[in-house]
Amino acid sequence: MDCGRSPPSPGLSLRIPGFAFAGVPVLGAFALELRGGETTALLGPSGSGKSTLLRMVAGLLPAPAGARIAAADGGPVAGRLAWMAQQDLLLPWLDLLGNVMLGARLRGEAPDRARALRLIEAVGLAGRERARPAELSGGMRQRAALARTLMEDRPFVLMDEPFSAVDAPTRHRLQGLAARLLAGRTVLLVTHDPLEAMRLAHRVLVLRGSPAVPVEVPVPAAAPPREAHDVAVLTAQGALLESLAEATAEAA
Amino acid sequence: MNGGDEGPLRRAAPALLGLGVLALWEGLVRAYAVPDYVLPGPLAVARALAADWPLLSASLLVTLEVAVLALAAAVLVGGLLAVLFAQSRWLERALFPYAVVLQVTPIVAIAPLILIWVDNVTVALLICAWIVAFFPVLSNTVLGLRSADRNLADLFRLYGATRWQVLWLLRLPSALPFFLAGLRVAGGLALIGAVVAEFVAGAGGSGSGLAFRILEASFQLRIPRMFAALALISACGIALFALLGLLQHRLLRRWHESALARER
Repeated sequence: MDCGRSPPSPGLSLRIPGFAFAGVPVLGAFALELRGGETTALLGPSGSGKSTLLRMVAGLLPAPAGARIAAADGGPVAGRLAWMAQQDLLLPWLDLLGNVMLGARLRGEAPDRARALRLIEAVGLAGRERARPAELSGGMRQRAALARTLMEDRPFVLMDEPFSAVDAPTRHRLQGLAARLLAGRTVLLVTHDPLEAMRLAHRVLVLRGSPAVPVEVPVPAAAPPREAHDVAVLTAQGALLESLAEATAEAA
Repeated sequence: MNGGDEGPLRRAAPALLGLGVLALWEGLVRAYAVPDYVLPGPLAVARALAADWPLLSASLLVTLEVAVLALAAAVLVGGLLAVLFAQSRWLERALFPYAVVLQVTPIVAIAPLILIWVDNVTVALLICAWIVAFFPVLSNTVLGLRSADRNLADLFRLYGATRWQVLWLLRLPSALPFFLAGLRVAGGLALIGAVVAEFVAGAGGSGSGLAFRILEASFQLRIPRMFAALALISACGIALFALLGLLQHRLLRRWHESALARER
């Protein structure tokens, strides 16, 4: 399924001098290079600052003084981002097609209808273009959100627990779909799910310590997307789970 | 508004209850031989309604015109003010208290003043009814504009939406259910405002609306006509409420929780 491939996405470099929320330090000082065209998964205990970091990269949170969030190609970051959250963030009063084409509408561009229809088909929602979100199931809405994220065709994709609200088989399918359709983008994926990280990510980071900094954990040698039943994936998932448990114990 | 599998009996229940009460009323009036000038039975009221229909229907149109125009003005002014308030907290803080003052001041108390200041009686009535009707539209719409999902607002920001786009594509649609709920309340209030103002004007001898007919009939001890006019006002209020409810349902039925059919 070709949905209009763009040139390879540049990397993204983050330098955070630390971040405090209401006087409480959340993130420590660190530098992080997200390699171009790769998916980086970020895990960590609840409240460790995963979403904070993501929102900072998205520009939804003012970055602290001295922070630097820059694209490797020297271009701007703002305006080249696609965002997918835990909630589907569909506008309830627009139909599926209208939601998928929202970004173009907001930019005042003529939306590429044919591409939107292709993406809707790619996420398995062909025939439901005129349905409002209330007429779709939770899994379908999340697929619609994925189609909208892909419609944006942005080099940087930020995902905040994108599949945590759907049941396990749906999640499994959506992960496969996302890996296929997001190949070549620079993706930062915040997740709670070790298996998701091991299936989709080139690199996996765990936020550890207080204030938290990202620590890299080993991933299987094969390139993602990896099979969920692969022994190497399952072993790595187990190791990641232990690392997460330690991180949670440290934070407590 | 969640129709569907209701049986015909359940649907007819309010009408049956109403008929029962009317029959009881008629029976008691006859059994105790209550004279018409104290309490007319429903049949006497119906006879008066039929006999005086030319007079009452003309008055009905007058009252209805005031109520509907006042409602339209309430929507216009209340809606516009709400949008302005949503754009500027400063403006809201400055103006909202005065909207509250207007709301809590009893309309009977200021209606005579308005009737003195404004020469045209219809315009004066309109102003009175508007004062009563506009507040629910304003306060509900302000609340609705502010209730837009924060995550959706973030998404709009990320997509580089302009302030105008956020208002037009996010905040106004989010406010629609709130606005419509306010409109439904305002519809009844506009009618009440019109009637109250007519009473005040009618006491001064000017007017031709239903409230004036009630006053006139009471002076002439034509109590059945009084009841007929009263019944017309009630019927109007119910019709207005139902009409606005229908509008609410049509506009929201495909996406808002309040109007969605529950089949899953």
